[in-house]
Amino acid sequence: MHKFAHMADIHLGAHREQVLQRLEMVAFSEAMDMCIEEKVDFILICGDLFHIGIPDLGVVKEAVRKMKEVQDSGIPIYAIYGSHDYTPTGTTVIDILDTVGIIKKVVRGKITEGKLRLDFFTDPKTGAKLVGISARKIGLESRYYEILDVENLEKEGGFKVFAFHSGLTEFKPDYLSQMETIPISYLPKGFDYYAGGHVHNRSENSLLGYGRVVFPGPLFTGYARDIEQTAKGEKRGFYIVSFQDKVEKVDFIEIKPFDSVYFEYDASLKNSLQAQKELTEKLAGLEVKDKVFVLKVRGELSGGKTSDINFSQIKRTLIERGALYVHLNRFGLTSKEFAAVKVMGEDIGSIESRLFKENVGAVRLTHEALKDERGAIMATELLQNLRQEPKANESKKDYGERMVKQTIETLQLREVFK
Amino acid sequence: MKGEIEIAGQVIGGRVASIMIREKSGRKIELGDLLVVEEDGGYLIMQVYDLGYGSQIPQSIRELAAGLKLEGYGNGLDFLDPQLRNYVMAQVKAVARVTGELVKIPKVLPSFFSSVRYVTREDMKFLTKPANPVYLGKVRSGSKVLDVDVYLNGDDLFAHHVIISSTTGRGKSNLVKVMLWDITGQSRFGALVLDPHDEYFGRSGKGLKDHPEAKRNLSYFSTNPPVGGNTLVVNLGSISPEHFEGIIEFSDAQQHAIRLYHREFRDEWIEKILRGTQIEGIASTTLSVLQRILRATLSVYLEDDRIVCRNNVFSDSSGKATISEIIKALEGGKLVVVDTSKLGDEAELLIGSIIATEILTKHQEAKAEGKLDEKRTVSIVIEEAPRVLACERLAKIGENIYSRIAREGRKFKVGLLAITQLVSIMPRDILTNMNTKIVLGNEMATERHAIIESAAQDLSTDDRNIASLDKGEAIITSIFTKFAVPIYTPLFEDFIKERAEKFDTKGELIFQG
Ligand SMILES: Nc1ncnc2c1ncn2[C@@H]1O[C@H](COP(=O)(O)OP(=O)(O)OP(=O)(O)O)[C@@H](O)[C@H]1O
Ligand SMILES: [Mg+2]
Ligand SMILES: [Mn+2]
Repeated sequence: MHKFAHMADIHLGAHREQVLQRLEMVAFSEAMDMCIEEKVDFILICGDLFHIGIPDLGVVKEAVRKMKEVQDSGIPIYAIYGSHDYTPTGTTVIDILDTVGIIKKVVRGKITEGKLRLDFFTDPKTGAKLVGISARKIGLESRYYEILDVENLEKEGGFKVFAFHSGLTEFKPDYLSQMETIPISYLPKGFDYYAGGHVHNRSENSLLGYGRVVFPGPLFTGYARDIEQTAKGEKRGFYIVSFQDKVEKVDFIEIKPFDSVYFEYDASLKNSLQAQKELTEKLAGLEVKDKVFVLKVRGELSGGKTSDINFSQIKRTLIERGALYVHLNRFGLTSKEFAAVKVMGEDIGSIESRLFKENVGAVRLTHEALKDERGAIMATELLQNLRQEPKANESKKDYGERMVKQTIETLQLREVFK
Repeated sequence: MKGEIEIAGQVIGGRVASIMIREKSGRKIELGDLLVVEEDGGYLIMQVYDLGYGSQIPQSIRELAAGLKLEGYGNGLDFLDPQLRNYVMAQVKAVARVTGELVKIPKVLPSFFSSVRYVTREDMKFLTKPANPVYLGKVRSGSKVLDVDVYLNGDDLFAHHVIISSTTGRGKSNLVKVMLWDITGQSRFGALVLDPHDEYFGRSGKGLKDHPEAKRNLSYFSTNPPVGGNTLVVNLGSISPEHFEGIIEFSDAQQHAIRLYHREFRDEWIEKILRGTQIEGIASTTLSVLQRILRATLSVYLEDDRIVCRNNVFSDSSGKATISEIIKALEGGKLVVVDTSKLGDEAELLIGSIIATEILTKHQEAKAEGKLDEKRTVSIVIEEAPRVLACERLAKIGENIYSRIAREGRKFKVGLLAITQLVSIMPRDILTNMNTKIVLGNEMATERHAIIESAAQDLSTDDRNIASLDKGEAIITSIFTKFAVPIYTPLFEDFIKERAEKFDTKGELIFQG
């Protein structure tokens, strides 16, 4: 019997806070150790190994050290790009790791006569055949799927795995209905295992014509939403798939680098003073030591400003009482007196993209690429780009040039500025 | 028409609703032809609804002359100046008086003895392209097609409901396909097509998928999707008891039971019924009848402790976002085609019911918040509409979402586009509410009468006309047209060839692994 590990959305380098940075690496190390211990034949990472295309070198160093260990125990690591493994200029850390042989990209193919023909990569030890499509700049991979030559892929014999980093419409949870997904009909039928990434929500699925379709969810936690879900009890980890000619067994391996508490407080019908007082009292009774604490405050204050509630004080108190880390979500907190701007959303990213989507229609635009959803996507992307800070050691001039270059790319104006 | 005006005949008598015209010899005036009389700086458009012979020669002489000819007595025999003595009489009605830009219902007769000519393209100039246009075809005079496009404003058209009727095979679906083609390029209206014959998308052959904007503006859902199509799989959790209203018949006891199950188990209520989970106050016989109904209508049942669905359209694990996805598309001004060809009637109507209910609710909420303006008009296209709009059915199982939309959807920018062979079995008030009727050929007198009775314009003289309409020929009667406009809608395949709009193909794609 052979085994491989399937993981995705590891998002190394996603966190700024030291505690989470440390825990994130702990989770990754534990997962790698588990693979060694379980003697898997290979590891398949379906995108978003790192949180950004060119991550902090400290993070890279730690990760490479661990992956080297895995490699030295004879386990190859295969990968595809995720939506975060992307830089407007092209090269990412994944390419570098591929070049030096720490990991191996398994997506190969070319476009001939308007069709995308992919080549299988065969794992030398097990004979498993891997093929897949990487994520690209927001949603661009869907154009690859449109021209994918599925027939050739379906014809191939043997144990076949399809790796991808896109949400599938049919398996999308309802709360993610705003997320861009592709229909499963784009994927070749009849593979033994469909190894997904991108959806930060674990699920094992199947649908007529398709074997097992698995999304492992994030290994640790990438977005703010993830940490809330984790605290609410969603398990994080990866899969180990046992196979011979067919999939024999699919096991979820939980990785739990921290304990957590989730606390939700509804401030409705209270003014800011009452809310602060009550919240403080409630928190006082909770066990927080050595835990990641997720605090969600929502509701409409009957009086006062939301900023009257001293959240930094509340956080500080929790840390003093021994909490590892406090994550605060108060996007759902509004005030009756200051209800001018009302936005709904789970985190900054989704609020931004929703606002763009809602408002793009209000602007008169003539250029196709700026209209509707496309325009909203471009705006989101532009904002993401412009938010980047200079890297350590990056000169002002280099930073400026990089920003200009990226912006031109994002605005699809390369032709104009050539 | 350039050069000399083609005189078709002359007004010789009659009354407003039946003006008599003598045909000029050699002309072939047809039923349904549009004729024009020019006068007072304007002109009157008339339409032929009956034809007959006229003759100056007494019947007995004509009979005798025919006898002589037939029996070989007079080979060279003919009447003196035959074109003067024998002719065709056309009975016409005045349909519109046009003065400059102004089009009015005619209230006076054309001048006695005025000459009548065939209608020309120029005469129809007043049919301008409205805002948010939806293409319906070209103006037709009899069986001749004028190069004048007929459009209606989509917001008016769709929100106020459309009914399209004919006997089988006269081109209803073809016409709707042509209408929807235009919408696909616009993102102005949402349209949901419940397609029991899988004939709109064009899985094999041409269809809406061939629209240059289809990738962006058309979503196709099928239990067996082609590459790139969406799987029609609806999570059982998306269904709530109200969606069954008027779609599937439940007794009072069953009704009560499903409400209790829903209250108790929310999203899992159907699953719990299928699994036979008991709740207090519900007899186990009721439970097993419910299981039987669900099996018969939705093809869902329990097998080895797993919920299965025969045609895979309902699922307890997949398809959680399918309905939201469809709603999102409709709200975004897209066309959504749902291939229901592998489904039973009930399953199809139920899926339509879920979507329509969601849309209507959303629009009602928007209206309550004063934000209906921000919503696009959404049209729900349903084939064989009597399945949900027949009097008898409505009386027996009660109102359903489709009849509710037909009655009150207009206020909320949600409209029905009902396609039917039978109009006579639909309730009068619903028919009256459907403000645009597109009438294609119909051989059945009862149906023609039902259509004529509920038309927006007086079609009382059009009975024969409607009976003689060929494939693609139609009459639009609508509160949004000044008169009942005769049109020809081209065959979809020809239409799209003509429209083969050029669109910029996106830049060359480079593959990056
Ligand atoms: N405008 C047209 N010109 C020529 N042929 C047409 C036209 N419209 C339809 N047809 C032909 O007639 C056939 C029947 O048309 P269509 O399917 O649209 O009829 P229908 O009224 O929807 O019939 P049913 O009631 O059975 O659904 C089509 O296959 C098409 O080839
Ligand atoms: Mg039809
Ligand atoms: Mn990710």
